[in-house]
Amino acid sequence: MYRIRFHGRGGQGMKMASHILGTALFLADFEVQDAPRFGAERRGAPIFAYVRADTKIINERGIITSPDLVVVADESLVALPQAGVLVGVEEHTVLFIASREDSVVWQQRLMLVSPVLSMDVIGKDLTGSEGQKFFGTICAGAAAALTGLVERQHLEEAIETELKQFSLAILAENRTRALAAYDAMALHQGLVVEGKSRSADDYQRPEWVIVPSDGSHISAPAIHGSGTSALAQTGTWRLVRPQIDTAKCKGCWWVCSTFCPDSAIEVIDHKPQIQYDHCKGCMVCMVQCPARAISQVDEKEAVIS
Amino acid sequence: MQTKESVYKRPRNLPHNRVLSGGTSMCAGCGGLQAIHAIYDILGTNTVTVNAAGCMSLLSIYPFTPFSGSWLFTAMASAPAGAQGVRDALNRRLSKKRLQGEDDLQVVVLTGDGSANGMGLSATSGTIDRGLDFLYICYDNEGYGNTGQQFSAATPHGARTTTSKGGQGYCGDKKNLFNIWKANSPTYLATVCGAEPLDLARKIEKAKSLSGPRMIIAFAPCPTGWQFAPQEAINIGKLAVRTGVFPLKEYYEGKVQHTAVQGKRLPVVDYLEKQGRFSHLFRTENEYLIKEMQAEIDTYWSCVKRDRTKE
Amino acid sequence: MMRKMLTGNVSAAWGARLANIDYLPAFPISPQTELIETVAEWVDTKVLDATMVTLESEHSMLTAAGAAAVAGVRVFSATSSQGLLYGMEMLYAIAGWRAPLVLVNVSRGVGAPITLEPDHNDVLAARDSGFLQIHCATCQEVLDSVLLAFRLAEDLRVRLPVIVNMDGFYLSYTREPVVIPDHELSGKYVGEYDPGSMFFSANAPISTAVAVLGGESYSYFRYELHRAAEKALNVYDEVAAEFETLFGRSYESIEAYRSEDADFLFVMIGSFATKAKEAVDQLREAGHKVGLLRLRLFRPFPAERLVQLSKGKKGIAVIDQNISFGRGGVLYTEVAASLYGTVQSQPLLTSYIGGLGGRDISSEEFFEIAAELRRACRTGVVPEMRLLYTAKELAGMRKLQGIAGGTQYGGRF
Repeated sequence: MYRIRFHGRGGQGMKMASHILGTALFLADFEVQDAPRFGAERRGAPIFAYVRADTKIINERGIITSPDLVVVADESLVALPQAGVLVGVEEHTVLFIASREDSVVWQQRLMLVSPVLSMDVIGKDLTGSEGQKFFGTICAGAAAALTGLVERQHLEEAIETELKQFSLAILAENRTRALAAYDAMALHQGLVVEGKSRSADDYQRPEWVIVPSDGSHISAPAIHGSGTSALAQTGTWRLVRPQIDTAKCKGCWWVCSTFCPDSAIEVIDHKPQIQYDHCKGCMVCMVQCPARAISQVDEKEAVIS
Repeated sequence: MQTKESVYKRPRNLPHNRVLSGGTSMCAGCGGLQAIHAIYDILGTNTVTVNAAGCMSLLSIYPFTPFSGSWLFTAMASAPAGAQGVRDALNRRLSKKRLQGEDDLQVVVLTGDGSANGMGLSATSGTIDRGLDFLYICYDNEGYGNTGQQFSAATPHGARTTTSKGGQGYCGDKKNLFNIWKANSPTYLATVCGAEPLDLARKIEKAKSLSGPRMIIAFAPCPTGWQFAPQEAINIGKLAVRTGVFPLKEYYEGKVQHTAVQGKRLPVVDYLEKQGRFSHLFRTENEYLIKEMQAEIDTYWSCVKRDRTKE
Repeated sequence: MMRKMLTGNVSAAWGARLANIDYLPAFPISPQTELIETVAEWVDTKVLDATMVTLESEHSMLTAAGAAAVAGVRVFSATSSQGLLYGMEMLYAIAGWRAPLVLVNVSRGVGAPITLEPDHNDVLAARDSGFLQIHCATCQEVLDSVLLAFRLAEDLRVRLPVIVNMDGFYLSYTREPVVIPDHELSGKYVGEYDPGSMFFSANAPISTAVAVLGGESYSYFRYELHRAAEKALNVYDEVAAEFETLFGRSYESIEAYRSEDADFLFVMIGSFATKAKEAVDQLREAGHKVGLLRLRLFRPFPAERLVQLSKGKKGIAVIDQNISFGRGGVLYTEVAASLYGTVQSQPLLTSYIGGLGGRDISSEEFFEIAAELRRACRTGVVPEMRLLYTAKELAGMRKLQGIAGGTQYGGRF
């Protein structure tokens, strides 16, 4: 069985990517299972989807814990432990990262024996800033080639099936990029190999515990602290970030802070400060600031600088 | 009409520290969350928020809560009944001296429009019948947002939702919850919009100063369900008020007063064109729908007395 | 006939479409929403000629459903978890009305704490309502079971409502290749809706769902539900056999997988049972004679067939994706009640609770359950009921509890 896991952010089309690959594999006569993993997280939050393919009926279900191929639509997720990109990655696992950095750089950075491929081989005109919204289909196209199980025409047909609710222009944009990604990976066709199934002879015994009976003061779902959500780092959802130009800020002391939905702007001595731990990058503050003192910067570039 | 002089005279009087913590799982640009934190700033932490199933149920996910006051999730249909139980218990403890007066809490119900207009309506009506001392806040994002924006009884006519994808969108009309609640004669009733924070602060301040059933409908622009860019959340709210789609008003001592009457209202298209859920209305065959909407808004406002306005 | 990638939700919608439903009262709840969204789109675009209405609650939704069924039309509806429980009063009522509708339940754990992920405590709470219950393990089975369920419900010997159950997310939002049967053939299989004696008409007035005074009438009417449910066992076999003839897919009341020559059995319901199948294959490869029984029918309970299939087995491990507090697994108690006093040499029974609120069950856990069962049969010492829960999970929980109650965050403990 082939096990493929897609990682991205809410809104980046990971469900769509898994559906394109799933349908392409189905058209190539495989038994397939694909599913997105839903949670309480929203747009920008790390999410994943998965695809299983086999020549026989698939009985395995649920999250893929030992993937043969991991596809990452947003490179910033690799460093986020809660995104779980590297969970269960073994020696044979292939990684594809939608990054413009070189594959070799990634391989060294991650210190992995596993083969790592990046998007650098795909033309910049397709993956440039406008191309970002197509990373889902690019990932699906690359994954289709890397498995070596899907013909070009299967991919094309899968895209038409899965994107039929969109306009022809959008469909064409997606098709071009998915096929370019597919072609660019031609050298690596079939790099992905099937993982072994678990052996009932030699397995790691689960470390079961007897769950103790605790007092109801801790064993009921009650939170006795206040404002503990401040510990949740929703700043990781951000794709763009607001930046305050302190020279332009008039110190009105209320507009950005009042309108920020996430209580992420604190006003200290009439000066607003953005709490990047919680800012989700909605950019309401930029739009509302009367002095136009807030600008938008790309999160990746902001992190690097 | 104001019983006491408001401390919120100018924007600079608004609270500038947020009582609600960040780190919640609401969508980026959530207009409902923005309105709720603005309300919570005024209400403060001596509150117990009794919640019905909806988006905001995900505010408190173990072990994280943004509240520095208390919280109780009940069920979709019965949050007001939960409020009844909490209020009664607090009163009992107060009368038996098992709770000091300074430790008493304001009981607040927090529900979405799905519960408020639908299965929660009966429980709400009962609470008003019994004259319960509580504050009810309905954040109105005009659909069942938490399940992916199916239409609710609060969905406006013509809006596209995931269960009204036909050419003309939702066939029903937005339920007039304000008038239904008014017919139950609560102590106080008001509509608020997070994009008009001064108006909001004054109303919450007033609601807080009163006792008995007090009801608030908070407009909650939803980037996910209404299909607009998150950064437009506040602008959508402003446009809803300035086009007259969402009238800001209050009901007190038997009278309804509008708290923001526009000298010149903006045309409703200004509001509609910014949202994906209305995009189909701009097809030629649907032009009549926009005309009907405009006419309905005009009729509404022609009935509103222009005197005694506040702003 | 088409074969397509479909989710469990869309499969259920297809089942309703192919069964030519007249009426769908709805109320959205995760993870069922895609089902009603799909039907709504078909109704809006006139692909499906049915009436759909969104009610203001599940209680009202089920009331409308039952009322429409006794008013003489074919009714389909769907809910999940909290919604099923909110409508619970009406489940008992509708069954008492003998209204033969089909309700899909997308299983999801019941609050508190409120969750979105699956287990079977929601549907098992409806165990004694009079609704019959079919539990599915694949998306194909969801579609096929809706067709089967209409036949079963509407059969004049039965006339009871049926719940078709699928697991939230593991089926509802998971796509698998699904054969969509031919519309004409499925229409023929389900047949025209026969309201039997139950419909409203000016020329044939009926007063139905009326009150009784005294235990004699009450006992009679309620026991008749039991008699009808009993009959449903044979009717189910009949309609499943007919389904197999027409469509080539077999749905026996208990799916027996590699059980014939097995010494040991897993017993489960729902989609997690396919994971057990996988584990059975791997255990067989390692030389262990293990099989699986998956109950498709839970009400009526196919006790006789279970006893037959258990004959000569050394041990049975029942894995429950539910818990009855203060007793243990619901399926376990049902299996034990069926076997006690019936089989000459009774197989040893072990009990596990796993998969609550969508918690996964790993292959290793199935292997270990089999190992414990072998050990128990060898030593005669039966292990106590166990929750599948690891030391790592408990440590993670302790960390969360630290945040929830920790004084460092202003807490009390």
